[in-house]
Amino acid sequence: MRKQEKRAVICLIMALMLVAGLGIFGYRLVKHGGEWATFYGNTQIYTDGAINRGTVTDRNGVELLSCTPEGFDYTDDYELRVATVHAVGDPLGNVSTGAITVFRSQLIGYDLLNGTYDASANGKKIALTIDANANRAAYEALAGRTGTVGVYNWKTGEIVCMVSTPGFDPAYEEETVDDGEPIYFNNFLSGLITPGSTFKLVTSAAVIDKMDNRDSFTYDCDGINQIGDTKESRLIDVSAHGEVDFREALAQSCNGAFGALTREVGAKAMKEYTEKAGLTKPIDVDGIETAAGVFDFPDNDDIRLSWAGIGQAGDMVNPCAMMVYMGAIANGGEAVQPTLIKSATFLKDITGGKSLGRYLDQDTAGELRSMMKNNVVENYGEGNFPGLDIYAKSGTAEGESYQPDAWFVGFTDSEESPYAFVVWVKGGGYGAQAAAPIANRVLQTLGSGGE
Amino acid sequence: MLAAYILLIAIVSLLTTRATPEIWGYYMVEGGGNFPITHWENVIGRSRSADINIPLNIVSNNHALLIRRDEDKWMIKDLGSKNGTKVNGFDLDPQKRYIIGPGDQIDMGGVIATITPPSIEETRNNRFMRRLDKEPVHPWKILLAITVFQILTIVQLVIGMGEEMTASALLSIVLLCAVMWAYVMFFHATGRRGFEMEMIAFFLSTINLAVTASSDPGIVLKEFIAILLGLALLIFMCIFMQDLNRTRRIKPVLIGLSIVALLINLIFGTAKYGATNWIRVGAITVQPSELVKLAFILIGAGALEELYDRKNTVVYALFSLFCLGCLAMMSDFGTALIFFATYLVVSFLRSGDISRFALTAVAAGAMGLIVLRFKPYIASRFDAWGHVWEPEFMDDLGYQQTRTMSFGAGGGMLGLGAGNGSLKYVGASNTDLVFGFVMEEWGFIIAVLLVLCIATLSVFAVMHIVAGRSTFYTILACSAATMFLVQTMLNVFGAIDLFPLTGVTFPFVSTGGTSLMTSWAMLAYFKAADMRRNAGLGAGREE
Repeated sequence: MRKQEKRAVICLIMALMLVAGLGIFGYRLVKHGGEWATFYGNTQIYTDGAINRGTVTDRNGVELLSCTPEGFDYTDDYELRVATVHAVGDPLGNVSTGAITVFRSQLIGYDLLNGTYDASANGKKIALTIDANANRAAYEALAGRTGTVGVYNWKTGEIVCMVSTPGFDPAYEEETVDDGEPIYFNNFLSGLITPGSTFKLVTSAAVIDKMDNRDSFTYDCDGINQIGDTKESRLIDVSAHGEVDFREALAQSCNGAFGALTREVGAKAMKEYTEKAGLTKPIDVDGIETAAGVFDFPDNDDIRLSWAGIGQAGDMVNPCAMMVYMGAIANGGEAVQPTLIKSATFLKDITGGKSLGRYLDQDTAGELRSMMKNNVVENYGEGNFPGLDIYAKSGTAEGESYQPDAWFVGFTDSEESPYAFVVWVKGGGYGAQAAAPIANRVLQTLGSGGE
Repeated sequence: MLAAYILLIAIVSLLTTRATPEIWGYYMVEGGGNFPITHWENVIGRSRSADINIPLNIVSNNHALLIRRDEDKWMIKDLGSKNGTKVNGFDLDPQKRYIIGPGDQIDMGGVIATITPPSIEETRNNRFMRRLDKEPVHPWKILLAITVFQILTIVQLVIGMGEEMTASALLSIVLLCAVMWAYVMFFHATGRRGFEMEMIAFFLSTINLAVTASSDPGIVLKEFIAILLGLALLIFMCIFMQDLNRTRRIKPVLIGLSIVALLINLIFGTAKYGATNWIRVGAITVQPSELVKLAFILIGAGALEELYDRKNTVVYALFSLFCLGCLAMMSDFGTALIFFATYLVVSFLRSGDISRFALTAVAAGAMGLIVLRFKPYIASRFDAWGHVWEPEFMDDLGYQQTRTMSFGAGGGMLGLGAGNGSLKYVGASNTDLVFGFVMEEWGFIIAVLLVLCIATLSVFAVMHIVAGRSTFYTILACSAATMFLVQTMLNVFGAIDLFPLTGVTFPFVSTGGTSLMTSWAMLAYFKAADMRRNAGLGAGREE
């Protein structure tokens, strides 16, 4: 009998297999339980394929959307609906960056212990970091043009304004006519756009670090700035700037001077500083990956290299990444990760947001800050931004439109409003004229705590 | 929490109690030593795994069998040893049985020995030792806990389902509770101890009724009747199997009945979910293959003597082949797999031959591939296996699995409450996908405990056969354990995409009368192997 007793161990092995399989499943449950539970096949939380619980509010508790078994119930304010559609999301799930899609498991209130169990059956409330008034102001200021406005607190990382146009009314999505405009596309998080002169802030960082003799740099701008034989080898400026130094070149946004500076620091340094500025990598915004910028700095083509150094040629930047770079300059060189969900704790206000690492040396950031202030004083006019301690750079980029795209990027610095911002208006025309007022209006709205 | 408490007590009790082997006599070798005989069936030989191990070259590896017949009667059988066996100078014919008693001189190629019974004092000591064994836990606390659990279940079902809940469904749970108390009180009064296995089964059955009540309140009463029948069958089988020879004699009858049942199924069967494994008798549908499981286990078991009998092995192999063929023709490949795994384990237990074990498995694998070639609908399940979350399968071949995992995860650790689930609207949710069903309504913790219950039963079977009396009971318990284990693996792993979905039932928990009844009856095989004092239902009481 002893033999049979020994052989019975095979039963133990099978029992072990059973337990091991359960272990594997347990591991998968911990890892993927949220995805599984929020799968659209789960009729506990979906009615006709639409999530049926949860509420989305802005940072001040203004209700933007509540999901019910009868369907989605958006705010009654039409303008607010359109202004926040890319942050909140749409019933059909066409907007991939919407909270309905991205923060589904938080909305449903899934957790490992209770699953989707919900005593109130109303789901959870998610407070987004955006400010309804700021979003509305940005939407109004864009005035029907295609573009984007993004503002975030460069200390805490909270995105307080995120608007992308053209938008649409999610409450009447079925009736939305698709006229070919990318209405579902979030320009701020997913867009890749020619940066134009705003990119000179990256070139400047490279110049500050690599050119010790930058103080003695001068350039004589004749408005045409022929550097080769062909028509393409002209770095044309709006007007002849005459003799400019480095500081003046940025304030006047002199293409000729920056072409020369780019050639001076070289392709390798340009590539290095673009990467350091975080423009070539995607940024994780609460699980949403921003688009990664594309740049090309050839070391055997001076003309193309010069164009790349002033934000043209093949340069493509993501607006959110540009905003984070502005935040890094403001924050002494250290970048803070942007976030869209308001955290329940006050800890973040004290400790600041999660760091993305050091983009720039403190001194470099300091010099850039001073030059950006100089831009405002000399060129854009401090009087246009009443009450704001603002640092900025405009851009006028040759994009796809007949008219150039207008950019305005920068930051403000004060205890209550440490905001970095990016404004882009497609075909808006001259940067400082078209985009700066939009930035001002949004920042004023944020400063006054709402209109 | 309550459920966890119930299951943990029962599991721990089953895993910590242990029976002391009894000593039935001594095998005294002249000038050699004194070997205690701790089993009813013993191999005498040189082999290290022999029960009575005589390490002399003159003795064959497996020289002879010594089997206890009665208080002082033993049966001896030479296994065709090289030097033969003599009793009192008389040469034994190999493969023939001889009855001997204490004092008879056994001569194995010159090694002379006698059997002596244990002294009265020793017998008394032995009894005393067994009394010191850890007593199985008292059933009352667990009973009370299960009762509270049942009451809570009823409350939850009423809250969760409201108007949809039927009186008969709730009544069934109350009746189950009454039957449970009656059963334990009756057998406790007659001196039986050790009800952990039944407690586990009653608990699993409660979950079964709750799952059925939530998904199909109209048939709960039917399920309850199946439990009653299963319980009756369990008691009957325990008493019947008390007599080993009677049990062995019934085998040919069972072979005949099984063949008839499977043939009837093949001819008159109706299809359900692709497999033709049902027959309809009036208003009742029966799954003959479930009942054949019971017979299959019994037919595979054998006393030690039979294991050395080639004819017996061949009959078992042929019978297994027949069963597998029938199941394949019914397209019930899940059940076929269970039968096959059980066959493998049993033949390994019988012969211990690993190479043959491997060979059979490989041959079966090849056959399986051929089946896949000719049955595209089975092959398509393999396509989805491991990929159910891919868009291509998510709402198609992986529909049941993705829903199981989605709703199951939705239950979290603690569950949404009985009657509150939504997986019930998915096909076969209370049978093939019952693991997900329990996860959603009862939570992952209880779902895991259900599986651990099944694992415990089998671990228990292995731990307790050490004191087993006959290999017959050992094999019974092990093959019943194999069946439970494989069935649970196929059911649970199939639903959660660790295995392809084969559509078999979870023992005790899946809705389905025949399956439930069989699960209960199957407990008899574990009870028969339970050698703890007074744990068996059939055995006479020990003072």
